[in-house]
Amino acid sequence: MHLLTFCFRNLTGRKVRTALCVLGVILATTFVITVGATTIRYTAVIKEMNILFSGEVMVVSKEAIVIQAIPIGGGLLPMNYTLTELQETEGVEKAVPVLFVTPIGIGTTIQPVPVNFSMGIPVGYWQLILGPTPLKGGVGRFPENETSREVAVGVSLADQYNWNVGDHITVNNYLLRVTGILDTKLALLSRCVIMPLRLAQQVYNYHGSVNIIAVSPETGYSLSTVADNIEQKIGHVKALTEDERNDVVQPILTQVETWNLGIQSVVFFMSLILVMTVTIMSVSERRRDFATLDAIGAPLNYIFRVVIVETALIGVLGGSLGLLFGSISAIAVASVYTNIPIPQFIPSIFEIVPPVYIIEILSATIIICCIGGLIPAFHAAKIRISEVLKAEY
Amino acid sequence: MIIKTLALTKIFRVGPKEIRAVDNVSLDVEAGTFTAIVGPSGSGKTTLLNMIGLNDYPTSGKVLLDNENVSVLSGRERRRIRLLRIGFVFQTFNLLPTLSALENVELPMALARKPPHEQKERARKLLGDVGLTHRLNHRPKELSVGEMQRVAIARALANDPELIVGDEPTGELDSKQGKETIDLLRRIGQAHGKTVILATHDTKAVEAADKIYEIQDGKIGLH
Repeated sequence: MHLLTFCFRNLTGRKVRTALCVLGVILATTFVITVGATTIRYTAVIKEMNILFSGEVMVVSKEAIVIQAIPIGGGLLPMNYTLTELQETEGVEKAVPVLFVTPIGIGTTIQPVPVNFSMGIPVGYWQLILGPTPLKGGVGRFPENETSREVAVGVSLADQYNWNVGDHITVNNYLLRVTGILDTKLALLSRCVIMPLRLAQQVYNYHGSVNIIAVSPETGYSLSTVADNIEQKIGHVKALTEDERNDVVQPILTQVETWNLGIQSVVFFMSLILVMTVTIMSVSERRRDFATLDAIGAPLNYIFRVVIVETALIGVLGGSLGLLFGSISAIAVASVYTNIPIPQFIPSIFEIVPPVYIIEILSATIIICCIGGLIPAFHAAKIRISEVLKAEY
Repeated sequence: MIIKTLALTKIFRVGPKEIRAVDNVSLDVEAGTFTAIVGPSGSGKTTLLNMIGLNDYPTSGKVLLDNENVSVLSGRERRRIRLLRIGFVFQTFNLLPTLSALENVELPMALARKPPHEQKERARKLLGDVGLTHRLNHRPKELSVGEMQRVAIARALANDPELIVGDEPTGELDSKQGKETIDLLRRIGQAHGKTVILATHDTKAVEAADKIYEIQDGKIGLH
């Protein structure tokens, strides 16, 4: 008879206790996964924000509140005046004005990580801002001129609202035609409506204003030199390099990750105590069984393994179910947070709960359960039949 | 298996008090015989059997199995002997409650790393020999006490040991079941040339024994 069968029988022979112990592990794993996956997604989305303006200096109003490369509040820039000033600044090769508007259609609350947003980009500069983002199925195109009422939309928005190329959508009472769907895994771009800059200014009533100007440095000029030059020349702007943008959020991200780790540690420690307590009780109740194993000559390491394998099985079962419930819970949290329906998250479940994270948490759960079994296993291996019989008679 | 004990003594310390549970016991058991150790409760029968069965160390003296002093062996070596050369039958059966009768009998063979098919085949045969073919997949709680003791006997025989040690094997059984158990042990001992040594109150066991030792206050003598 296999050790695993023996241990499985021992667990199923004490159904209520095993179920309660497994339930405790499930709850702990569910909580860890929910908090962890939400944090991972949150930080990933924030990190993603910088991809759009990688290698460029971002010029924003001095009053702007900026998270990575996304202005989430604060002032606007007078477009023509600022562009002229920038073009006269030493080291500036190209300056592309962009209008970010967030959120669309969900009130006016500032969100640190916007759920939906619109982006106005001058026609012809799509690639500069969006990078090599393809259109879904190779169908459609980007808007062709500044005044056409045409937009490209992110794939997540298109899926949620069932938008297709050629459909008409309404943004701020403007009827706009979808010319392409951005096929991207970036959370931000997938929730974005891209339109020509002038159209965006018209739709959102920001005539002549933008909130970002992306500046490419001339060859031979570093980003920081160009940023310094811009800030010296133009008083009403701040110029942020990629490093400076990272510096703003990095401490926040580190703090979030540290808190996450702290919460995980506390929850795992509680699981450890739970498994240890239940297993110690179980070993105490089964003194006679362990003594019998000792009497019939079971090697010490076999008795030790019986307890460890039992706790490992609790870890595997509790961890697996916890992963399942945790993933569902993480999706539900993401859905509530982003206002995107749950079914839309299911195909991208591994982006919300990454496989590496699944493996990490499952391994951690099993290891912690095994550690929880160590002390009871030592106790079990020390039980002798002579002592048990002495206590009985 | 020939069993000898030489001046075997076991002292328990309870607070400042010393209890000589087994006091200077020397006995000889011939191979293939059926030996009974009788005595009142608390006389030291179980302690003596625990030392003979290598489940406990003596305070002084020696246990010789086939003339080898096993008192000085390491815990690991003693376990090996318990697993392969000694079968135990306890008063309270000590079957593992979560395993079926068949699995309880398979367990010592699994511990001895016998091939799975051999474990199953032999466990079936042994349970058949004790008349439990119809109870293979029953858990201990689904068996009568007599049946439980028969499963325990089958388990004791699993690794074909040379010595069977029984500590009051009929203690929990009624007289009919007790007689059947003694007959079974006697029959198995004779048929397979096994040495059987029992601690018992049971007159049936005493009647069946080739040799009877009487123990009183830890001291032993031939009956």
